[in-house]
Amino acid sequence: MDEQPGLSDEYRKASPWPVFVAFGLAIFEVGIVWPLFPVAVGGLLLFVGSIVGILRESGYVANPWNGLVTASVLCLVVGAVITLTTTGSVHLRGLAVLVGGVVVLAAGVFGSLFESTHA
Amino acid sequence: MVEAGQIALTVVMGVLLVAVATFLSRYEDWRSYSPLASGGSGYVGEGSGQAHHSEKPAGIVRWLTTVDHKDIGILYGAFGLFAFAWGGIAVLLMRAELATATSQIIGANFYNALMTTHGITMLFLFGTPILAAFGNYFVPLLIGADDMAFPRINAIAFWLLPPAAVLIWAGFPLATLTGGDISAAETSWTMYTPLSVEQMNPGVDLMLLGLHLSGVSATMGAINFIATIFSERGESVDWANLDIFSWTMLTQSGIILFSFPLLGSALVMLLLDRNLGTTFFAVDGGGALLWQHLFWFFGHPEVYILVLPPMGLVSLILPRFSGRKLFGFKFVVYSTLAIGVLSFGVWAHHMFSTGIDPRIRASFMAVSLAIAVPSAVKTFNWITTMWNGRIRLVAPMLFCIGFVQNFIIGGVTGVFLASVPVDLVLHDTYYVVGHFHFIVMGAIAMAGFAGIYYWFPLYTGRMYQKTLAKWHFWLSMIGSNATFIAMLILGYGGMPRRYATYLPEFANMHLIATAGAFIMGFGQLIFVWNIVTSWLEGPKVQSGDPWDLEDVGMKTKEWAWFERKRDTAITVTDGGEEVATDGGEADSADADRDET
Repeated sequence: MDEQPGLSDEYRKASPWPVFVAFGLAIFEVGIVWPLFPVAVGGLLLFVGSIVGILRESGYVANPWNGLVTASVLCLVVGAVITLTTTGSVHLRGLAVLVGGVVVLAAGVFGSLFESTHA
Repeated sequence: MVEAGQIALTVVMGVLLVAVATFLSRYEDWRSYSPLASGGSGYVGEGSGQAHHSEKPAGIVRWLTTVDHKDIGILYGAFGLFAFAWGGIAVLLMRAELATATSQIIGANFYNALMTTHGITMLFLFGTPILAAFGNYFVPLLIGADDMAFPRINAIAFWLLPPAAVLIWAGFPLATLTGGDISAAETSWTMYTPLSVEQMNPGVDLMLLGLHLSGVSATMGAINFIATIFSERGESVDWANLDIFSWTMLTQSGIILFSFPLLGSALVMLLLDRNLGTTFFAVDGGGALLWQHLFWFFGHPEVYILVLPPMGLVSLILPRFSGRKLFGFKFVVYSTLAIGVLSFGVWAHHMFSTGIDPRIRASFMAVSLAIAVPSAVKTFNWITTMWNGRIRLVAPMLFCIGFVQNFIIGGVTGVFLASVPVDLVLHDTYYVVGHFHFIVMGAIAMAGFAGIYYWFPLYTGRMYQKTLAKWHFWLSMIGSNATFIAMLILGYGGMPRRYATYLPEFANMHLIATAGAFIMGFGQLIFVWNIVTSWLEGPKVQSGDPWDLEDVGMKTKEWAWFERKRDTAITVTDGGEEVATDGGEADSADADRDET
């Protein structure tokens, strides 16, 4: 039976990540623009985590924890630059990216260590 | 109080993230993330054969996680029609208010909010997505591709739309919840500065963010279509025999690629002006006209983004019920490409009355008139295709002919408006509203309905109810012409746009326009009823070629795919519905015979 004519047998038809990539971006944007600190940090975590997840799933990243650490570097740099060079509400927005980056970094490091001890 | 709010938000975000992580841990095999657990490589790419992914999950999770182009096409379609209902209800409220000269039913501010949401919703949440629905479902089938080039990006592009819609529409419920602190934007869809900068309502920020997300979505979708049509065509499909719908989707995607990022940038500049004190559009900065230039540099190509794929649908469907090949296929393709290029050279015709340099006005007038040439090429080719053809007036064909008729009226009124002296008189009147509604509702939506009916048997395995479809057509056609011709006449009389009230002398024509709008609205109720009931219990189609296209030698690849699917399916299709592989249902056999 050719249950899915037109599709190759090897093709994966489902991925959990796209919906979270999209929602993460939307939540992050709202958090940054309004600005709502917890929403910005939460949105950033959802967005970055899902991006790393989808990259790993499609084989562009071999190890998700390394992916998180790499992504955290980007967040930390951008967040730090904004935090250090601005004041007021823009400073708060930079701080949100910075804090998000710290959490992402922690998740990446913790994941790597957890995995190596349970391997 | 502020601290309590922050803590509450933190808790909500925490719960959300934990819920997401829980869902993912149930869905994904997290151990496969470990390089050691998966045999040292941890490199899991497409086709690595993870057994639990080889089939689609069941139930709602299937729709949340699908990356199959057909499922995503259905999602786009469902979303687009939902947005169409939102925009439609908004306009019916407005037309109800406009039935009388004074403000009787809704206030002027609420009218402005409805007008804004009607425009934004119809263009960005209905128009663009419904075309992506057709593109996603049918472009891969028409060009013999397995799927879109980037299936996951395809899914991301779709899933950006629901949050975009929530943000764009959020002002309405928030106005009630916050006691008016946040309310729906009243900027109109053009968001002209300084009005849009000075409206301090945070609901405007939400709308701009939503619009930005929808732009990101459209751009991602466009990249996908371009990559798919360039690199995923089957062996038998080359540029010479690429179908006309794919040509228009390709051109549309090219236009999106060059125009939507500009909208995104302009929206960010507007957000910065509103929230961070920048002066991009302030008098001592770039000035208010800068917004109009940036907006219309996107905004006019947007018109062709919306109209080219419907033109492709008509060019594809109309010949099949005329019994003749599309007349001058090559020139229809050339005219599509010409429109694509010229669309970037006409934007300032929206700004003739702003006092810009008359030499600039003249050049934009010339290019705007020139774009009528490729549009006319298409129109004449559709007419000559039907000329002496064996015309079958089934519902998709009726909608195609309706498209051509309304496009002629919308197009010719557009040629008048492209002329500077005429535009200076008619600018900002209902004439402009009538003109572009003939294109967007009269033409674009008609072509969308043609596509929905034409392919209904393919994506449902069933046939729609032909009498209801014809009711839908005639009510839409009569309603749209009553409403929009009344608008053209109102415009000649000098009735200005965007007002909730008007002088008594305009009352009769406004009443006709309102009556027409409700006729259209009633037609759409019939449409929804027809689609839902036919999808659930319509007669099953008895062959893979329900329109008998084989007889006129015009069967296209997607119907061959449908036939193959029917031949090879045993019990269940990907839609989870049973499909009979043999005949035997006397009542259902009549459906397509009657239609054809």
